[in-house]
Amino acid sequence: MKNILLRPAQKEILEYPGGHMGVIAVPGSGKTWTLSLLAANLIASGVLEDDQEVLVVTLVNSAVQNFQRRVASFLEEQRLLPYLGVRVRTLHGLAHDLVRDRPGLVNLDDRFQIVDENEAGRIRTQIVQSWLSSHPEFVDHYLSDDLNESQVNRVVRKDLPGQFNSLANAFIRKVKDYRLTPERLRVLMEDIPVPLPLAEMGIDLYTEYQRALNYRGMVDFDDLIGLALQALETDPDYLERWQHRWPFILEDESQDSSRLQEQILAKLAGKQGNWVRVGDPNQAIFETFTTASPDFLRKFIQREDVIHRNLPNSGRSTQSILDLANLLVDWSMHSHPVQEVQNALDAPPWIEPTPKDDPQPNPEDRPDQVYLFMKKFSAQGEIDAIVKSLVKWLPENKEKTVAVLVSTNTRAQQLVDALQRNNIDFVDTLLRSTSATRISTGVLRDVLDCLADPNSSLKLSVAYRAWHTQTFCEESDHPSILKAANWLQKMVFVEDFLYPTVDRDWLAATNDDSLEPLIKQNLDQFRHILRRWQAAALLPVDQLVLTLAQDLFSEPVDLALSHKLASMLRQSAQTNPNWRLNNFSQELREIAANERRFLGFSDDDTGFDPTKYKGKVVIATMHKAKGLEWDRVYLISVNNYDFPSDPLTDQFQPDKWYIRQKLNLEAETLDQLHTLLSQDKYDWYEEGQGTQNARLEYIREHLRLLYVGITRAKEELVITWNTGMNNDKQPALPFLELARLWQEHLTQDKL
Amino acid sequence: MTLNEIQLQVMRLPLTGKVFLEGPAGAGKTSAAARRLAYMLHEGVPGESILVLVPQRTLAGPYLEALSQVYAGGVPAVVTMGGLARRMIDLFWPVIAAEAGFAHPELPPNFLTLETAQYFMAHLLRPKLDEGWFNSVRIPPNRLYSQVLDNLNKSALVGFPLSEIGKRLSTAWVGDQEQSHIIRDVQASVKLFRSYCLEHNLLDFSLQMEIFSQKLWRHELCRSYLTSQYRHFLYDNPEEDTPVAHDLMIDWLPEFSSSLVIYDWHAGFRSFLAADPLSAYRLKDMSQAHIQMRTTLVPAAGILEVGSMLVSALTPASDNQTETSLSDFNDENLPDKRESLAASLKFSYHRYFPQMLDWVAEQCEHLVHQEHIPPQDIVILSPFLPDAMRFSLVNRLENLNVPVRSHRPSHSLRDEPATRCLLTLTSLAYPEWGIETQQSDLAYALVQAIEGMDLVRARLLSEIVLRKQKNQVVLSSFDVIHPEKQARITYRLGERFEKLRIWLEQAAQDSQELDFFLSRLFGEVLSQPGYGFHNHFDAAQVTANLIESVQKFRWAVGPVFLDENRPLGQEYLQMVQQGVIAAQYLTAWEAEERPAVLIAPAYTFLMSNRPASVQFWLDIGSSGWMERLYQPLTHPYVLARDWPAGQQWTDQDEIQHNRASLFRLTVGLLRRCSHQVYLGMSELGEQGFEQRGEFLRAFQRALQKLGVEEA
Repeated sequence: MKNILLRPAQKEILEYPGGHMGVIAVPGSGKTWTLSLLAANLIASGVLEDDQEVLVVTLVNSAVQNFQRRVASFLEEQRLLPYLGVRVRTLHGLAHDLVRDRPGLVNLDDRFQIVDENEAGRIRTQIVQSWLSSHPEFVDHYLSDDLNESQVNRVVRKDLPGQFNSLANAFIRKVKDYRLTPERLRVLMEDIPVPLPLAEMGIDLYTEYQRALNYRGMVDFDDLIGLALQALETDPDYLERWQHRWPFILEDESQDSSRLQEQILAKLAGKQGNWVRVGDPNQAIFETFTTASPDFLRKFIQREDVIHRNLPNSGRSTQSILDLANLLVDWSMHSHPVQEVQNALDAPPWIEPTPKDDPQPNPEDRPDQVYLFMKKFSAQGEIDAIVKSLVKWLPENKEKTVAVLVSTNTRAQQLVDALQRNNIDFVDTLLRSTSATRISTGVLRDVLDCLADPNSSLKLSVAYRAWHTQTFCEESDHPSILKAANWLQKMVFVEDFLYPTVDRDWLAATNDDSLEPLIKQNLDQFRHILRRWQAAALLPVDQLVLTLAQDLFSEPVDLALSHKLASMLRQSAQTNPNWRLNNFSQELREIAANERRFLGFSDDDTGFDPTKYKGKVVIATMHKAKGLEWDRVYLISVNNYDFPSDPLTDQFQPDKWYIRQKLNLEAETLDQLHTLLSQDKYDWYEEGQGTQNARLEYIREHLRLLYVGITRAKEELVITWNTGMNNDKQPALPFLELARLWQEHLTQDKL
Repeated sequence: MTLNEIQLQVMRLPLTGKVFLEGPAGAGKTSAAARRLAYMLHEGVPGESILVLVPQRTLAGPYLEALSQVYAGGVPAVVTMGGLARRMIDLFWPVIAAEAGFAHPELPPNFLTLETAQYFMAHLLRPKLDEGWFNSVRIPPNRLYSQVLDNLNKSALVGFPLSEIGKRLSTAWVGDQEQSHIIRDVQASVKLFRSYCLEHNLLDFSLQMEIFSQKLWRHELCRSYLTSQYRHFLYDNPEEDTPVAHDLMIDWLPEFSSSLVIYDWHAGFRSFLAADPLSAYRLKDMSQAHIQMRTTLVPAAGILEVGSMLVSALTPASDNQTETSLSDFNDENLPDKRESLAASLKFSYHRYFPQMLDWVAEQCEHLVHQEHIPPQDIVILSPFLPDAMRFSLVNRLENLNVPVRSHRPSHSLRDEPATRCLLTLTSLAYPEWGIETQQSDLAYALVQAIEGMDLVRARLLSEIVLRKQKNQVVLSSFDVIHPEKQARITYRLGERFEKLRIWLEQAAQDSQELDFFLSRLFGEVLSQPGYGFHNHFDAAQVTANLIESVQKFRWAVGPVFLDENRPLGQEYLQMVQQGVIAAQYLTAWEAEERPAVLIAPAYTFLMSNRPASVQFWLDIGSSGWMERLYQPLTHPYVLARDWPAGQQWTDQDEIQHNRASLFRLTVGLLRRCSHQVYLGMSELGEQGFEQRGEFLRAFQRALQKLGVEEA
């Protein structure tokens, strides 16, 4: 690796002497690159024995593949076998490896299954519903007094089950993070003198949930992690074997580490072991409830036995954008009016430009390309303004990349509609699930739908489109396809097409003038294949799916996905013996709609490459934009609803209108749990405190979200706000302050 | 097949004296012994005085084949120890029933199959699970039942009291306290089941073995019957048999006029079924003459190289048989190692699992159609054979016109469309049983039951005729539906449906057992012209299997629930629905004669004990190649005879045993391979996870050292 030019800060990290090391890396500082290079250097140095590996732990599946490729290319440069000597895993992947190695150690048998999020959600729904109906009075205590009877009925029927489902999820995840069994929680409950009804309910739901999993021989994702740690603690020999296997542990994105992740890696590294943790606490942002927290990394770095390093240089953005990001950190640390959130962002390290002669120099500074737009827009007005701006900008910047970042999916959808109306090319893949999974499951779903309902000409026509698109690689809205599909849909009796008799043959009877011969031939082909599929519908579902996949797909990744779907559906068939084809197609519908996490096949969602979409508008949430960069970035809806700052007066998204005093029940439940677990007898439960803390956390996280949004921009940045649905919202406080500070900054520069 | 000198010597061994024959697999021992069986008959030994013992019925093949070529006469008994036990209990029941503790010695014994034992275990444990037994174990109830049964079997096969199971398991456990509750529940379940069996004259496998080995064999009447009946003894593959079987034979051996024990090195593949090669080796001391067969059927030079490469990568330190017996894998005289290795070992990396399957199918096709290798000389092996994988492979090979068969120890009847058709029709004949039938179920049943019926019309018909009356599902008549709909369905199909419907209605009125009902349904309707099972051999076979399963269920369960007025047919259907009864049947164990490529789990192939010159080893990255089955409620090694009392089972034990079994497995496979090994590797396994099994790592390291390149 002679030709690689290293910055002094990178050099310091690559001179890693062993032991525990913590690295804070600012946005755009190339931390993954540096960490991959460190891994490759360790392998090439020959310190590993034949059966040893460098273990790399990262956050998401797409990062696994990126990491692997990068290390492999460094190794190949040194003429080494690219995949020997390194194992890259997400935490779940690592836990799976550990548990799978000796399931018996944690009371699992070798055919244990991982319940996917959909099935887990279904189990929770059943449990929550039966709990709510056996405790009808429970919710009365929490509902707002202003509700009339019909409102109450509607809330109980429509809103509460979903809310309690996510509440149950948060409670169960939390107790699993603390590795508490239902039995243990009950014992603790007995010693508590005051009633904690929400926690009690949480324990009930947890108990039933666990029982349901055990009965199915299943573990959920959180169990997997807890069990991996349990296995390491149970058998010292087992631990020693893995410690030997992985003499070096490199952890990326460790600001998103959870308590259990830290414990597992600490266990594997051992007290004297080699463990490098890299992350940026300022970029810790989460979309849903999580047990992760940037505090773990912060505390780690402060430990005396830990070497502390920074990666402060970033060549990504212009000096102005770097300045703006640093201003936000500085203001929130020292001037945020709510003192409790002043720890949301932290520095040093401040973001610094790259040194002179760096291979990645910062773009030329253009302070005039930072627009902090304080004009008061209505929600629609803001979108119109963005569209207008894009219409002007795009033709002049065909070779540049641009993104509009929003904080919610709903807002993103509004924007998508507007761009569509104005015929602006846009890319919304970041809003949805990985495309390969979605497309192939969608196609299978369409065909299964048609098999489940063989008399429906509508479903027949949908299946035809799916088949045709796959077989002839044409767009599904090609006019001739649409025409044929239309014809099919209008058919009255499906049997006259599929299984015609002498006197009733729909295709033969169709007038030649109206249906081109080619389409007719095509429909005949489809009829033959559909008969085959209908015969296969008698087979067990996995065999059916494999048969369909063989006929429908040719890409290896589609076939591999189908294979996995097939065995997944078989598993569902075993857990739900009453399922019929329509249930299986419903299952596929949910996967296709990205309502669940799909474990395995990490590379079909291998990252998103903004440079592939020059001249098009990328629409994404700020969460999904993490790790990405564009020449021009719009941050919209930066008002005090999307980015609240005052826990007392601002409105918060988790607030529910039907709950009294705007209590956040999820937060209150977790606070009761906190009381239950607290050793301090003066640490009692006070209603509202949990809600308050949750709001503070929400404020902190959204400060970091804003920071992430700003640091996505390379050259140009536009920030706007709107007055919201009810026309009563204000610009977000940090936005207002930034605008003021930015003006001061510009004036200072001029002086 | 001509025999070599040493094989001839074995065949012609004198008709008196005890011989112990040992050697590696593939040396020709079984062939020699099978010929000896024919030879003995030829020499005038009465067939009925010969006992041939094998540990598993698949291993009896060569002997049955040898017998099929001999003239008629007295027939030697070719049995497993379990089969012998059952036969003796049946014969001596009046003598032994009371002593064995059965509550009703005056009533006949009721032998349980795997399925019916599982049924009774479920019957007993289901209420206990609701009470909270086993609440920290994460396995589905059906597997829990079978693991408890497994413990009973281990106790009977290894030979320790039932009451010791818990102690043995718990002292070996290194983990936390939670386990002690589970083990306590295991112990209680075992006790509960055993007393229930004694109460109701039920004999599961463990009780059969226990009574035979501990009571009947020690009973003068039975013992003298056996020792006078059988004068000559052949025992093949004792290393796959259990310590209790060995004990018994060690005791019995002196009584025979002649005996031949045939022992395979590096085997003991059935260790999860209590097979114990060390224990089997004790039989050597009971024999006066010892013969070793060393020369294996000559494999290609490259196979020796593959063997030598793997042996050095995998040899477990503790294997004391290694040094002498693996010498054939170390041929120093090979001219060019790398070249011969490359000729015999083909491998290919793929990213995805289905790509690997494509590669396998293509290679197979090439071998069969271009290189003209007989398909029966090719096997495709993997550690497990999941349904999706089996189906995909069979499908691919059939599309390439390669004859193929797949062999799995058991196959679920529930997955057969024909079974589901029969069960749906049954549910409709007996609506009072309350088994749910949906329109799609009926449609699928009609597609199969009625010749010429297509899915569209079947579904249309089902939507019209399937009605709910007083919470029961009934079929209405074709004759009363709207003429337009009748025309769509066609009168021809409508008539057939109507005949079936009337038959179902009438048949249900005769009170009869489910198995009778099913055989009438088949005989009187479905097999007739115009119906779907007419001239349909596979469907007939499935029907026969289902009837047999129902029958066995009725025999076993009927007497116990005599007083409860519950239809057994209903109970059977419900149990099938809940998966307690998988309606599993053993596929015909006589080797199928059709020349075809075999797809099987690796261990199943080993247990069929036959060579295959070309072997595909699939899914090399899977950890299944070396890991034992993990069953949290039982433990094959801790419950084995040589496990020191009180010793903890550690991670090192785990690794050591895994390596040893991987070693045995590869040696076992290579001994049965003369020509080529194809390794199929995919980076991502069937479920999309990256694979890093030890087997793969060993191969990668060895290949990197040797510099062999991908095919």
